Amino acid sequence: MPPLLSIDAVSKNFAAHRALVEVDLAVEAGEFIALLGPSGCGKTTLLRCIAGFLTPDAGRIRIEDEDITRAPPYRRPLNTVFQSYALFPHMSVADNVAYGPRRAGVGRREAQARAREALALVGLEEMGTRLPRALSGGQQQRVALARAIVNRPKLLLLDEPLSALDLKLRRRMQIELKHIQEKLGIAFIFVTHDQEEAMAMADRIVVMHAGRIEQTGTPEAIYRAPATRFVAEFVGEPNLIPLEPAGPGRARLALGGAELPAAAGMRFAMARPEDIVLVDGPVPDDLATFPGIVEEVLAIGPLTTLFVRCGVLLLKVARLGMSGAELTPGSTVTIGLRPAALHLIAE
Amino acid sequence: MIAPRTTLALLLFAPLAFFAAFFLAPMAVVALASFTTDEGGLTFAHYARILLDQYHWDVLWVTFRIALATTALCLLIGFPLAWYLVRIVRWRSWRRACVILIVVPLFTSNIVRSFGWMVLLGRTGLVNQGLMGMGLTERPIRFLGTETGILIGMVYILMPFVVLSVGNALAKIDTALEDASADLGVGPARTFWFVTLPLCLPGAVSGAIMVFALAVSAYVTPALLSGGQITVFSMLIFQQYSSVFDFHYGGALSVTLLVLTLVLVTLAGRVGERGRRAA
Repeated sequence: MPPLLSIDAVSKNFAAHRALVEVDLAVEAGEFIALLGPSGCGKTTLLRCIAGFLTPDAGRIRIEDEDITRAPPYRRPLNTVFQSYALFPHMSVADNVAYGPRRAGVGRREAQARAREALALVGLEEMGTRLPRALSGGQQQRVALARAIVNRPKLLLLDEPLSALDLKLRRRMQIELKHIQEKLGIAFIFVTHDQEEAMAMADRIVVMHAGRIEQTGTPEAIYRAPATRFVAEFVGEPNLIPLEPAGPGRARLALGGAELPAAAGMRFAMARPEDIVLVDGPVPDDLATFPGIVEEVLAIGPLTTLFVRCGVLLLKVARLGMSGAELTPGSTVTIGLRPAALHLIAE
Repeated sequence: MIAPRTTLALLLFAPLAFFAAFFLAPMAVVALASFTTDEGGLTFAHYARILLDQYHWDVLWVTFRIALATTALCLLIGFPLAWYLVRIVRWRSWRRACVILIVVPLFTSNIVRSFGWMVLLGRTGLVNQGLMGMGLTERPIRFLGTETGILIGMVYILMPFVVLSVGNALAKIDTALEDASADLGVGPARTFWFVTLPLCLPGAVSGAIMVFALAVSAYVTPALLSGGQITVFSMLIFQQYSSVFDFHYGGALSVTLLVLTLVLVTLAGRVGERGRRAA
């Protein structure tokens, strides 16, 4: 069985700007993929190439066995939820949702029935007769979703669909979208620049940077084992501790001088802020400890972040709740980390 | 910030006074004249004279026929032109140049432009020379003194109104809507019919109403291009006011034209509104 969607070496240039550089990606049926990256990284360009609004300069895009690289958007078996929602302002909500089936030759009654069903799925069955502009942003977003899934495509593309919503509503929609996706078994490709959103929803995250895919992996792999410094810094907050070579197959931490096994070329050891602990009392054997001076305390309630100066390095130390909030800038602490648990990054 | 009452009253009163003095008062004078005799008595005789005379109906029919044809042709030519300007031209300076080309003729007098067409459309004018040069016709075609000639002049003069109002409506349409339609499996032609056209309709209707109203009441262009062969309603009114000096009969003619035009324009507006809702 070929994957649902395969993208082979797709490149796209806008004049001198290389928007996509030989991108490869395979998406399986029913998968939830997040395309994650900063603005201008090529994620929206890739999405528009899949949808058919842009034609790649090189490479191939296939759905199952069919080559759709040059097929127009209206001949592709997939649907899109647009960032601006793009609801037809001159049609009622129900007519918006029924538009796809209706134009495909489905009878008025049947199309309206399907529209009602899709609207019920997003919790808007009462809103069918309204015009889109009479709805709130969150409701419009649901209508856009209903319109895109009414034909039950195998693949749904979502272009930053939640970016216009406020934080609370966004969190709720993230959960809801995930449930709808699981219920329908449709593969989602979800473009976002919000790493938390990607982590919360996706089965697999594709991190993009400067037109290339930096890393593809599960949210856990992306967070725990970023392939590059860019991924480490874009997803979450890393503490990057420089490494010095210490003989074949080994490297020395710039902090404290502990030695650890490392492949050649590894330049940084990464510890997430929650990997670093404040030591108070007896020290476990596998813990390397260092003295440090607290420079800043940032307590936001569920999490307290301490900025601790250790020589030239400024380390971020995260603690659950308000513990550590009592520390004042200037106080001396002992911090500890497990060298064996560090993730090594080459560049 | 609350303006003092007197300032507010003045601000409200000024436009009202302007409107009353320059719009309502002349209309009232014309309407009043149309219902009165020279002695000042009330009469409907002027209207009876118009409505019971086949000649007036014939002239009205010619007038409205020309106006409708002008409107239709302006839409037919103006729509693609607006499309070209808004959707096809990528180069900003060229678009600006095109808009200037369309708007600048509005700054020159109707008389000058109509005279221009008289020269162009004459027996030995550029149009006939060109047609004969290309071998499309053996003898010169008679344009002056025909409805075709009037139509050419009117379409030329009134076209900018359609281009500007349709162009404005087109430019406001979010192209993501057309993308969304394509994404839902609908090809370009049907996307145009079901999405783009309905959204342009208000612009097209307002452009068409402007063109129609101006075409019905046009005097200079039909007068110059008709060569005395064709009479439109505004010529009858002009005769009464300028040569016969019968302000009562002339007023009644004006009011007749105004009322008929308003009825038609209202109907057109209704149709446009319904079309937009049904689409």
